[in-house]
Amino acid sequence: MSSPLNASTTVAPVPERAGSGLAIETTGLTKRFGARTALDGIDLRVPRGSAFGFLGPNGAGKTTIIRTLLGLTAANAGTMEVLGYPVPLERAQALRRVGAIVEEPRFHPNMSGRENLRIVAAVRGPETRARIEPALARVGLSDRAANKVKSYSMGMRQRLGVARCLLADPLLLILDEPTNGLDPGGIQEFREMIRAMVEQEGRTVFISSHLLDEVEKTCDAAAIVDRGKVIVQGSMAELAQGGGVRNELILGVDNVELALTTLSRASELVRDARRADEGLRVELVGDPRTVAEVNATLVRVGVGVTRLEPVRHSLEQRFLEVTSRLDASPATEAVEEVEA
Amino acid sequence: MSAVAPTASTPSPPRQGGSSVTVAAQMLGADFLKLRKKRSILIWALVLALAPIVIMFAVEAIQHASDPAKYEPAGGLHSFHDGLRLLGGLLFGPLVAILIGVEAGTGDASAGVFRDLVVTGRSRLALFFSRVPAALLMCWLLIVSAYVLVVIGTFVFAGGLATPDGAEVLNGFGFLLIATGVLCVVAVGFASLVTSKPGAIIALIAWQVVASPLISSIGSLGKAREIILNQAISHFSPITLDGHATNLKLSGGTALLVLVGWLVVFLALGAWRTSTMDA
Repeated sequence: MSSPLNASTTVAPVPERAGSGLAIETTGLTKRFGARTALDGIDLRVPRGSAFGFLGPNGAGKTTIIRTLLGLTAANAGTMEVLGYPVPLERAQALRRVGAIVEEPRFHPNMSGRENLRIVAAVRGPETRARIEPALARVGLSDRAANKVKSYSMGMRQRLGVARCLLADPLLLILDEPTNGLDPGGIQEFREMIRAMVEQEGRTVFISSHLLDEVEKTCDAAAIVDRGKVIVQGSMAELAQGGGVRNELILGVDNVELALTTLSRASELVRDARRADEGLRVELVGDPRTVAEVNATLVRVGVGVTRLEPVRHSLEQRFLEVTSRLDASPATEAVEEVEA
Repeated sequence: MSAVAPTASTPSPPRQGGSSVTVAAQMLGADFLKLRKKRSILIWALVLALAPIVIMFAVEAIQHASDPAKYEPAGGLHSFHDGLRLLGGLLFGPLVAILIGVEAGTGDASAGVFRDLVVTGRSRLALFFSRVPAALLMCWLLIVSAYVLVVIGTFVFAGGLATPDGAEVLNGFGFLLIATGVLCVVAVGFASLVTSKPGAIIALIAWQVVASPLISSIGSLGKAREIILNQAISHFSPITLDGHATNLKLSGGTALLVLVGWLVVFLALGAWRTSTMDA
């Protein structure tokens, strides 16, 4: 790829992965700030070697779980593992190969980009210093590395933040709202860099975001979080379809009544059929191959089929669905009571 | 998976790469770099350390040149003592120590990068304790520069006046290191505790300039005044620092104990806060 973010990596290669197949695993993770419950029994499983989206509206608890995982704040209950190491018990070992940007990347503004990386390299250990120049090159900041950070744009600071992550030669990158402040071109480059890290280098990238489109385009799997709870998690396809396989069709027919009657009798093919703005919305029992049988069934009774279109479930649809469902659930009311 | 709360039986986590000495040296270098790059603080500290000395010698030299019969030469023993008072006893040396110590204690937090250092997995205690030698190094560099100026002025402008001997110069040097070093370390600990740069500077200057002399002058407090830091520092001074004669006569052991007490208490408080604060 041509962009500097995706230039052929000169960062040290990732060694063979060890431990469990999960980069992050939490069970019942709970964090309270006074009476407010920020994380309410979070169970999270992030597979290694994937880009994982942590999706939720503002204030859902995304940053809090990142801060808790990284030991920036203590949990009140629950367990967590990062790269197979229990945290906070073996926090130092766990974070040795973790790079993280929490909220916006911050630096000493009166120091240059390179000097800021030297500070972190000194803290990480002597072997890290050799990674400074390759990391700067990787994010396309070699030419500006001698400039003071206070002269950097937000996008450049984001890049420098990623370079700082790369100093760890990370097996796991944790990025909190990483595209904030990036222009569309920068977002595209960033997305490609994430994919390259995952697909070519085998790293795991954990991205917290409230931008559905960004997660959908970048990630292999995701969890949707709201009000301190993980509502649902899985692959992007599973999430979009509601956690299970849900095949739906939009049908256009010339005789709606006859079609509904016919479909209601074809229970081996159709789970549900109802009127919709666009015609009939039909939920199939089996896999998409049954579409042909549904069509044939309708044609056999004399219904003319003018449209037959599989429904594509978007993450956005699913996101709104689960978060609005949560609004009405007793658990949410309990959370709201606590917050009140 | 482990419980979130660590247990006593858990082995300490393995260290990150590099020998501990190498890592400590690199961290010290990094903290020194941060101070060196904080130009605004550095310029003020330089001005506070050097300007009073330059002004003192300049004024006395002009006076002597204008009326040699009335005014003594600008150098000599009395100027050496005045220089020591400016750097060790009065505002300027302590102010340099406070500025540098507070910057070292709050620099990472105020720039918002403390969390980025914590997420490296490096122990928070290591992050705290690397600030101390870096601050001391910077503070002493400035103070020693000013002291060199005092000594040069003392001899260059001495005319026919008596000058300090080698032992006096060394005593003065040692006293300045103690006076500013202890205050600098206390400032690092206090600033790390309060995490507010303006708050720490105001509180420490108020203590140093207003509260300490005031409390020292309250006779009814008796020996309780011995725990005031300035009293213990004064014990090591080769000259009388306080024109108001509020200095108590502490024994060497008591003075040393008070200094160590201040260092231990503020280092412990700073380390505790750095270890436990939300980053």
